[in-house]
Amino acid sequence: MKMQPHVLTIRKRDATKWLAKLLESRDVIAPALGPCGEVLFSKVDSPEQVLWDFENPLPPPKQFVLPQTDPIVRIQQDNHRTEVAPIYDDRQRVLFNVRPCDARGIAFLTQMHEMEPADASYLRRAEKLTVISLACNTPCRLGFCVCSDSGPFLSAGHDIQLTDLGEKYLAEIGTAKGEGAVSDAAGLFDAATEDEVVRRKELEAEARGHFGEETCHFASAMRRVSTRRVADALWERMSDWCLECGACNFICPTCYCFSVKDRGCNGTWTRCRTWDSCQYAAFTLEASGHNPRAQPGERMRRRFFHKVSAQYYVRDGATGCVGCGRCIKVCLGTTDMPAVVAAIRKGAWHGQ
Amino acid sequence: MLSVPTTCPFCACGCGFFLLARDGDLVGVAPGESHPVSAGKMCARGWNAHEASLWGDRVLQPMVRRDGDLKAESWDLALDYVASRMRSLIAEGKRVGVLGSARATNEENYLAGRLARAGLQTNHVDFCHHSLCRPLMAGVEDVTGESAHAIRLTDIEASDTIVLAEGDLARTHPRAAASVLKALGRGARLIVIGYARTQMARLASCFVQTAPGSEGNAINGLLAAVLGTEEGYDSLRRELKAVSPSDEIRVAAGWIAAAERAVFLIGPSGGRADRLRSDAASLATLAASTGHLGRPGRGLLLLLGRSNVRGACDMGVAPDRLPGYQRIDDGEARQRMQQLWGTPVPPGQGLDAQRMLESVSGLIVVADDPAAVLPMGRRARAALKRMEFLVVLDAFVTPAVKAAHAALPIASLPETEGTFTNMEGRVQRVRAASAPPGEAMDGWKVLAELCARFGAGGGWSSATEVLGEIGEAAPRYSRMVPQVLDDGWGSSLLEEPEWASIALRTSPTEALTSPERPYVLARDGASDWGSDPLVSFSPTLNREYQSERKLFPNGLVEMSADDADALGVRQGWRVKVSSAHGGAVVPIRLRKDLQRGVLLAPYAFRDWFAEVLGEDGAAAVNVERA
Repeated sequence: MKMQPHVLTIRKRDATKWLAKLLESRDVIAPALGPCGEVLFSKVDSPEQVLWDFENPLPPPKQFVLPQTDPIVRIQQDNHRTEVAPIYDDRQRVLFNVRPCDARGIAFLTQMHEMEPADASYLRRAEKLTVISLACNTPCRLGFCVCSDSGPFLSAGHDIQLTDLGEKYLAEIGTAKGEGAVSDAAGLFDAATEDEVVRRKELEAEARGHFGEETCHFASAMRRVSTRRVADALWERMSDWCLECGACNFICPTCYCFSVKDRGCNGTWTRCRTWDSCQYAAFTLEASGHNPRAQPGERMRRRFFHKVSAQYYVRDGATGCVGCGRCIKVCLGTTDMPAVVAAIRKGAWHGQ
Repeated sequence: MLSVPTTCPFCACGCGFFLLARDGDLVGVAPGESHPVSAGKMCARGWNAHEASLWGDRVLQPMVRRDGDLKAESWDLALDYVASRMRSLIAEGKRVGVLGSARATNEENYLAGRLARAGLQTNHVDFCHHSLCRPLMAGVEDVTGESAHAIRLTDIEASDTIVLAEGDLARTHPRAAASVLKALGRGARLIVIGYARTQMARLASCFVQTAPGSEGNAINGLLAAVLGTEEGYDSLRRELKAVSPSDEIRVAAGWIAAAERAVFLIGPSGGRADRLRSDAASLATLAASTGHLGRPGRGLLLLLGRSNVRGACDMGVAPDRLPGYQRIDDGEARQRMQQLWGTPVPPGQGLDAQRMLESVSGLIVVADDPAAVLPMGRRARAALKRMEFLVVLDAFVTPAVKAAHAALPIASLPETEGTFTNMEGRVQRVRAASAPPGEAMDGWKVLAELCARFGAGGGWSSATEVLGEIGEAAPRYSRMVPQVLDDGWGSSLLEEPEWASIALRTSPTEALTSPERPYVLARDGASDWGSDPLVSFSPTLNREYQSERKLFPNGLVEMSADDADALGVRQGWRVKVSSAHGGAVVPIRLRKDLQRGVLLAPYAFRDWFAEVLGEDGAAAVNVERA
């Protein structure tokens, strides 16, 4: 549902009123202070809990569209009959103040689940979800979204994108769902002036000039990966620095591979979708005991082929990475996205 | 979505994470960036820690065996029944005992110890994992006089030289392996001693590949090279007279001697208990004689297998120790405990886990399946079947629960409160994110009820209250109680003990093999995650283990391709393995990381080699094509 984008502003003190309005009809999920002093995406009860100045939470908001354990089908069996009913999650949700990388991540997941055969369970949840993102005037320390066209500001794909202009937030409305999220509180918004739109462009240009320590040159890595010009020995060497934890998959805003397992007994089962990792040996283990990707290096090669090859780029229109930098923090080894992409480009790991 | 900070229930690294629950049901796990051990990183087990509670075959109500079958019973009647049966066994003069567990909390272990000593008036109290790590702890104690001290994982990261006598660190302790990788990335040198060219060995600056059970030779080689011609150490040098270090070992010894910060890591392996003990003592001696023991940021770390091995030891779940490692033969210590508990504490050392299984008539097992953990394997299962009265407290229906005369359902770890102590000596909170199913109760509550029925206290209103009492019983715990009770991660390091003296020691190790039996067969590893309920009930984690069991229903032995070629056998073909004790015919699996002359019996398949290995973890064998 694409529409002509239109641009509004809201005064900072009115943002609370807007949130209060949203809370009346929807679950609002936003970065909030959680246990242990950590900022986590949580369902908030009041507008005051929503943080506006925060470092992006380590767990992405993926859990709210694609939970790690997700009941998808209920199966009931009597003497002669088996009833199978899908389970849908029809809650209306707003993801508020997510960063552009995470908004891109959810758009990517939705695109993947729309591919035939379409995934009804995911799409029902996604249809009821409105994503309101907050552009990054200051890029985060480990982020490299600028390398994968996923930030620091979005030019498309958001329901609403907010930008902090100082006194006000600029709200770029991108979709009808976005329109719906402001229409309930229309009185709080004004049309943006030309100056304000210009200011947003300046802020984006400034942010683009302030990227930190991580960069990720996908283009040259893509040439090598797509034409199989990365030596098997290099994958093998790199895989010695991977501890096969699966964190890169689980934390990644764009990874969606899953397994299916039934829970229950005595004639009633719930079929659950559970996150799975292509870095686990058992992911491709066959019943015969044969494993087409038995070696960790083969699994790593597969992961990066899916993430950065031209073959997938052509199909999906994007790399499988939004540059959020989370894999740098969670990798138990040292084989995060920027490190491996750099090794692919150089054809060497740790100088070898 | 509820996010509850808790401690990982798998290995003894003690990572922390958030358990996620929605509408009362667990849905997953999220990393916590501020956790002092894991800092946002977790291994595959941690990332799937919620699964066993969801998919596990759970004990839902108290059950008592009547007419051969386990039948549901009310809590009160089941507990009364347990008390009366145990009492009548004691009255008949029969032996009874209690097994704590490395997967139970400190609070559960402490109460298990109190139930045994103050309630049942016996020192037959131990836990199964203890048998695997006790030789290591004893070896270190031989040198330092203290069994519980450790370095931090961050010390590994900041070190410049790492000596690792391993099983397979990347598999057993992924978080510790991550610390090694971090140090290597900073340019540290890694010296690995082991029988397989594992992931860590491939990254090592020096890998000394030994036969299983001969790791001590390599450690002694390093020691001999380090001592060289330095003055003093005469008695050590006498022990090492026959050792002539290779050039490679001399170079590695040079690195240790010149190191600013060296760390020494050793974990339980399949070797014989006496050898493990002397290996640990030699490694501690190597650390001490190069000035790396007893100084901050350097030293020795025992790679304990299961989440709460250290905690169970600290709680005195051992036949010869009271809480805080006070010796059972120390009359003053017993007096102190008597004052705290209000009942006499029996003198005299009790039986360890294996001996208990072999000889007691009544046994209370807290959250463990002895046959899955102990090296004795299926003989433990037979021993449980023979018990006159077996009580098992567990969240999961394990083979031990199926054999029980009374099965008492307790909460699994994502459903209970308490603390674990990791291998660094860090006491950390375990918190509940959902309610236990059915009539299951917190384990500490069930143990408190049993204590009350044996006049061994009772009336604790929370796990925190039990922790408070632990602080009185094991003084090192008292100082950290307030920190553990904060509303964050609740993580606090125990203070390191002061050492009275260091007694350097080492002992020569002889070769196992002979011309008639030129191969060494060893149990590989010291645990089998595949038969641990936390893994076997997790659909994501159990796949490889289940597949392996299906593919090798007749056991398996692993060997190098060179040995297989020499014997004229291929993957899946059968060989006859025979030692002085007995023989076995099993199919082979080839491994690229083994050297010639070494055969491995994976821990999960140890039962197939019960006749070959006897009580030992390694033996000289001959191998023929079957």
